Amino acid sequence: MLKHLYDTDCVTWSPQGKLFQVDYAMEAVKQGSICLGLKSNDFVVLCSLKRQPSELAGYQEKQFKIDDHMAIAIAGLTADARVLCKYMRTECLEYKYTYESHHPVGRLVFKVAEKSQHKTQSGAKRPYGVGLLVAGIDPNGVHLFETCPSGNYYEYKCQAIGSRSQAARTYFESWFHLFEKSTLEQLILHGLSALKKAIMEDEELNEKNVEVGILGKNQKFIHLNAQELKDYIVKLETFNANTQIQQE
Amino acid sequence: MIFNPEFSAQQQHTTSPIVTGGSVIALAYKGGVVVGVDTLCSYGSMADFKNVEKIAQVSKNTIYVSSGEFSDFQQVVRELAKIDRSALQYDDGVHPSPRDYGNYLARLSYKRRCKINPLYLQNVIAGFHNGERYLGLVDIYGTYLESNFVTTGFASYFCKAIISNYWNDNCTLDQAKQVIRECFKVLFCRDCRAHDVIQLAYVDEQGAHLEQPERVETKWDFSGFKNRANEKLHTQ
Repeated sequence: MLKHLYDTDCVTWSPQGKLFQVDYAMEAVKQGSICLGLKSNDFVVLCSLKRQPSELAGYQEKQFKIDDHMAIAIAGLTADARVLCKYMRTECLEYKYTYESHHPVGRLVFKVAEKSQHKTQSGAKRPYGVGLLVAGIDPNGVHLFETCPSGNYYEYKCQAIGSRSQAARTYFESWFHLFEKSTLEQLILHGLSALKKAIMEDEELNEKNVEVGILGKNQKFIHLNAQELKDYIVKLETFNANTQIQQE
Repeated sequence: MIFNPEFSAQQQHTTSPIVTGGSVIALAYKGGVVVGVDTLCSYGSMADFKNVEKIAQVSKNTIYVSSGEFSDFQQVVRELAKIDRSALQYDDGVHPSPRDYGNYLARLSYKRRCKINPLYLQNVIAGFHNGERYLGLVDIYGTYLESNFVTTGFASYFCKAIISNYWNDNCTLDQAKQVIRECFKVLFCRDCRAHDVIQLAYVDEQGAHLEQPERVETKWDFSGFKNRANEKLHTQ
């Protein structure tokens, strides 16, 4: 392939109408470990698999609070994620200082998307190599957004990004019709079930490598602690989406 | 006039207002908030512009009025309109609430106060949002207060007694309007820079409603005036 002729920088189109640098940046997101999000009428849950670079190292955190009403889960280059996280936190603080209310979620995602797009149209810049799942609550309701290095953003009922995320998305496709009316506990168990689909055969979910964050209309963003995670992973053994249908 | 280039290079700081608006009175009632202001802009002690409509509707459910330097009022109306316009540009169905406007104005006023170049105004933002009434006062320094009733200028001295005797926040719209009219009657008698034509506006869950200017009831047919009793005394 003559890809190498057209992939030097962001300001070169390929004859097929592709910006290869942007596509390569999206690959970086796919290499990151999986994180997923799902929402009901009242809650959004973010679940991620944390990677441990070596036995000696800690686990890389993947979920960050932006404000009481908003949080992100990242997949891709953590350093780039830090930049976007700082930007989002600053914007929320400024908005709160000026208006004394919470930054509307969609609008902040739009700002991040604008920032990302800018990097795809410059000679001397590279796109951000990170995809975000943004969970947030505002007067318009409960939201889950995905942002891309390309500068696109989408709103979802549930979504998974990162490595082996297709397996989680397949789980979602089968069960997402239950999520709207799910309780918080059911939502978390669905999220963990989807996460389980995406791990390798020799891996297992435990309270060290799983991160679960919840956000609700009357619930500020919190992480589940180690004990709560353990309890949920135990409940996962007996959780079956079919039983939820029978209850309704 | 000799043009002195030195003066135009400096930024001037507002130290005293030139064209000023009178007192504003705003009360909450059961189901909304009502605001009253007179229609006069004074040029010092001269009653220069007598038909000025000073109630600005900044969004569907928020109105803004102020007393003080009228050009600053006009500028603030432009600033607040920017917020609504940028909401249109984002086009995401999110609209600022009255409280957002109130806080924004407080930040703006405080910024100007810190530069020792204030917006020479006492501002009132009134609105109704999500079933809740909102009344905010922002003064020249950027002090921000929310309350059930708010007064600026001389009304703060003359009218609070009337308001506390005749008003409660569960009264009807007409009762609240009547209290405001009484207050402006008193103001017209006692405040030298007041006018007898006022304008009322109210915000309820349907949105903002601005009314036509109306004349305050005044009484001049005292028998002393009619009979010119004093005149007879002095011309003897």
